[in-house]
Amino acid sequence: MYKAVVIGGSAGSFQVITKILSSLPKNFPLPVLLSLHRLKHVRSGFVEALSIKSTIPIVEPYDKENIKPGRGYLAPANYHMYIELNKRIALSTEEPVNHSRPSIDLTFETAAQAYRDKLIGIILSGANRDGAYGLKKLKQAGGLAIVQDPNECQVKTMTEASLKLTTVDHIFTTEQIIKFLLNIK
Amino acid sequence: MENRNTMNKYELGIVDTRNIIKTLQDVYNYDFKNYALTFFKRRVEKIIVRYNLKDADGFIKRIETDRDFFEVFLQEICVENTEMFRDPSLWRVLKEELFPQIIKDATNFKIWFPEVSSGEELFSTAIILKKLNLTQNVQLIASSISELDVERTKKGIFDPKKNEVNDANYKRIFSRGELSDYYTQEGDKAYWDTSLIDNTKFIKQNIIFDDYPKGIKLVLFRNQMIYYNQILQERYIKTIYSSMVPGGHFIIGNNEKIDYWNSDKDFTLINQDESIYKKKLS
Repeated sequence: MYKAVVIGGSAGSFQVITKILSSLPKNFPLPVLLSLHRLKHVRSGFVEALSIKSTIPIVEPYDKENIKPGRGYLAPANYHMYIELNKRIALSTEEPVNHSRPSIDLTFETAAQAYRDKLIGIILSGANRDGAYGLKKLKQAGGLAIVQDPNECQVKTMTEASLKLTTVDHIFTTEQIIKFLLNIK
Repeated sequence: MENRNTMNKYELGIVDTRNIIKTLQDVYNYDFKNYALTFFKRRVEKIIVRYNLKDADGFIKRIETDRDFFEVFLQEICVENTEMFRDPSLWRVLKEELFPQIIKDATNFKIWFPEVSSGEELFSTAIILKKLNLTQNVQLIASSISELDVERTKKGIFDPKKNEVNDANYKRIFSRGELSDYYTQEGDKAYWDTSLIDNTKFIKQNIIFDDYPKGIKLVLFRNQMIYYNQILQERYIKTIYSSMVPGGHFIIGNNEKIDYWNSDKDFTLINQDESIYKKKLS
């Protein structure tokens, strides 16, 4: 069965994310890895805003923190968030990718290497192409690729770029994403 | 575009990565096995693409025979500081509270940067000291595994692409002056005023310190240990502990922490928001 969910989002994804996080059961069986574009100089506020809505605890992880089920891990401002093969978080201040740090591509790609076919990847609304390559790598590693329905997205660029690069498993509305996640055992 | 580069990138297998680590150990006595694996692999992949080395074998052949390329590799593996005054709130604490408190009445106050990489942490510190008129009270010590980074930092060379972020950070800390008071730009090159680091001692070192400075009162080592695994992190922290005087301060990155067995006997966290630790009085 699946071992982790990784979610990437940018412009227009905040409300979708909070809707998803507020719908998960308290004992959601998987870790949720969140790579979301955010203001690099605003360190506080974002994780608090997500936590208010979320049923599962959300943290900005420390470097080398152990990944545990039923928790959300938000890439901290101005860091990339990698997943190590031993299922720990590794942070990085390397150069931005697609002008982004955190880069969704890097989180997806390293999560795919760590979780192989036990990973669910979800790309949400966003205004650039970050995440498209990462979702492709996730799919190649045998993971399950989901993209938010572009017709529902506030900004379609990211989901459309993902769909162009990868034959995904599902194109879902927010409600369908939630329904899918609720059925994970 | 960056995106296209990632498309054609070369992917290194685990066995290849181990062979590369073994070569670096055998030929140069540099031990990278305790670097964070995901980081190290990705970094070498980028080097292989950038220098047209084709694959792991190409990399190994080149580095075995080319000492200069080994130095290039060391510089590439050292991650640059992202910007001047990264996390302005920390630098405000240093400027307004910590430096006046601990440096004002000191002489020969030793500050150590265990990995200076591209120099921004060093120059940020030097600018604050200068503004506070404390330069003559301190001895700055900057180490790096990269000779090329040491040379670049000594000359004050930095990437002017960072100017926009650097300038914005400066304004979050200082209400007067401009960061450009401290640098000059010529085309695509920019130079810090190297008089800022006149009294800085530079040390080229191996990954594990053969030797390290003693009597250190402040260590700035932010966002470098994130590229190590926990074994190497602990080794670095223990070396730094030994280098410091009791009551000395140790500053690490926002999302780093000192967390090894019994580490609370060695250090106290005195500022959680800015990750400032203090060595216990024993």
